[in-house]
Amino acid sequence: MEPLRRRARLLSGRLVARDTWWMEFDCPEIAAGALPGQFVMLGKGLGDPLTWMLPRPFSVGLTRPGGQVGILIRAYGEGSRALCRVREGDSLVMLGPLGRGFSTDQPAECVAGGVGLAPFIFLADWYRRHDLPVRLIYGERDGGAVFDPGFIARLTGCEPEIFTEDGSHGRRGRVLEALSRDSAANSLLMGCGPSGMLRALAEHAVRVGRRLEVSVEEHMGCGVGTCQGCVVRGAGGDWIKSCIAGPVFDAADLDWDRAGGR
Amino acid sequence: MIEQRVFGAWFRSPVLLASGTCGYGQEYADLIDLESLGGLVTKAVSLEPRPGNAPHRVAETAGGMVNAIGLENPGLAGFIATKLPWLRDNLSKAQVLVNVVGRSVDDYAAVVRGLDGEDGFLGYEINVSCPNVKGGTMFGTNPAALAELVRRIRGETDRPLIVKLTPNVADVGEFAMVCEEEGADGLSAINTFPGMVVDTASRRPLIGNRSGGVSGPAILPMGVHATWRARQCSSLPVIGVGGIRSALDAMQYIMAGACLVQVGTASFVDPMAAVRVSEGLAALVEAAPERSIGDLVGSLDDA
Repeated sequence: MEPLRRRARLLSGRLVARDTWWMEFDCPEIAAGALPGQFVMLGKGLGDPLTWMLPRPFSVGLTRPGGQVGILIRAYGEGSRALCRVREGDSLVMLGPLGRGFSTDQPAECVAGGVGLAPFIFLADWYRRHDLPVRLIYGERDGGAVFDPGFIARLTGCEPEIFTEDGSHGRRGRVLEALSRDSAANSLLMGCGPSGMLRALAEHAVRVGRRLEVSVEEHMGCGVGTCQGCVVRGAGGDWIKSCIAGPVFDAADLDWDRAGGR
Repeated sequence: MIEQRVFGAWFRSPVLLASGTCGYGQEYADLIDLESLGGLVTKAVSLEPRPGNAPHRVAETAGGMVNAIGLENPGLAGFIATKLPWLRDNLSKAQVLVNVVGRSVDDYAAVVRGLDGEDGFLGYEINVSCPNVKGGTMFGTNPAALAELVRRIRGETDRPLIVKLTPNVADVGEFAMVCEEEGADGLSAINTFPGMVVDTASRRPLIGNRSGGVSGPAILPMGVHATWRARQCSSLPVIGVGGIRSALDAMQYIMAGACLVQVGTASFVDPMAAVRVSEGLAALVEAAPERSIGDLVGSLDDA
């Protein structure tokens, strides 16, 4: 569907991990059209002359039949911190749904790092409603950053397998270890998370001969293809706009050796 | 009454979309009514295709952003084949200026010569001020080089020829005079300022190109000043650009001497920004004693 720009009122904001909020906005038209893996640009608009902030891209974390759009926000810098401080009842400006999402027609094995979990909450719920099997593997650096697993299960009907690097929550280690142990090789592999994790996942997929879809993250200006800011390196060496050609790509279509350019 | 005749054409609104922030128009067609605006300035077109810079290409700053896209574009032939037809077929009221960039005088001349027989656009905005490529500011900061460039392009076209000035000079007025003497039809003031953002965690520049151009509300007063200075030193019409996000911002440029304005970075915050500025200007003009945008241009009382 064509992207819509709407005021989105915050219905509920819930601290789900350190510096990490699960926010549900009232935005029925965008909720109705969004697909797993698509994103929205979330910002404050131009209404307040003392506030200048570029909107930021967020994966759609969930949609509900009642018109809610769920967003997972981790406060990294001033901008994301400002968004986390929005109070229930206040509104932000949401532009979306944007970009191309994940395939949703076959069993999936999803690997999430950090807030890369967000699109897979949506996808797991989508799969539950469409009666398709999904496995959710979720890694964080430490237990304090782990999104409440009971809450994930309530949102998606899916129990995530949790890994932390320091072993303070779930299994000690990295998400890739789950794949090497036991893996549903006939399912589509999907990934979203830090670039190092995605690169390792892409190498794994090549090694074992599985198809992999990844959701990439690059600094974005506009979200709709005009600013040409959010490029990633394609397998053919060309720069590809992640906002309209992605953010979900077949991993084989990207150049993982020169992904960052430097 | 915000309609005006400038560069021999009717602009139904003084508000245009700035180069580099609206792609080639088509990207915004689903989100805004381009025909309600005065027009748009395309992303820069060079003779050969350019791949652009490595990411990150954009970073936010207080009151603005830094970008170093690197003039990514499909080149002259690609622009004519894939971008210009959409502009020609879909815009009849909004005026189109093609932003032109080059590495040499011959480059610029070849792009203008190659485009001049095509339909679908009014004229050229010559980019002598992009700081993101090697040598990109050479023409904009050297009066003799700028004179040679404008003279050469003038020889290639009778269409409106507008030069987009860089603010990175001691006195913009000197460069405005050069453009007028060499036969340019107008000026755009201003392009971005060079800037850098440091990622303190990695101790590296955040932008892949290391430095980029600063735009956004932070540069509004510099743009208004450059517009005022250009009008003091030349009689060429000025298109005011830099930091506009409201009708009052645009009115500052207009009172300082701009007959048209461009909205750029604000479109990233709100794709409707230019439309809102245009509607707001209409209301401001209606409320002013002059009731006409043309009478407000340069109406600044700076005695």
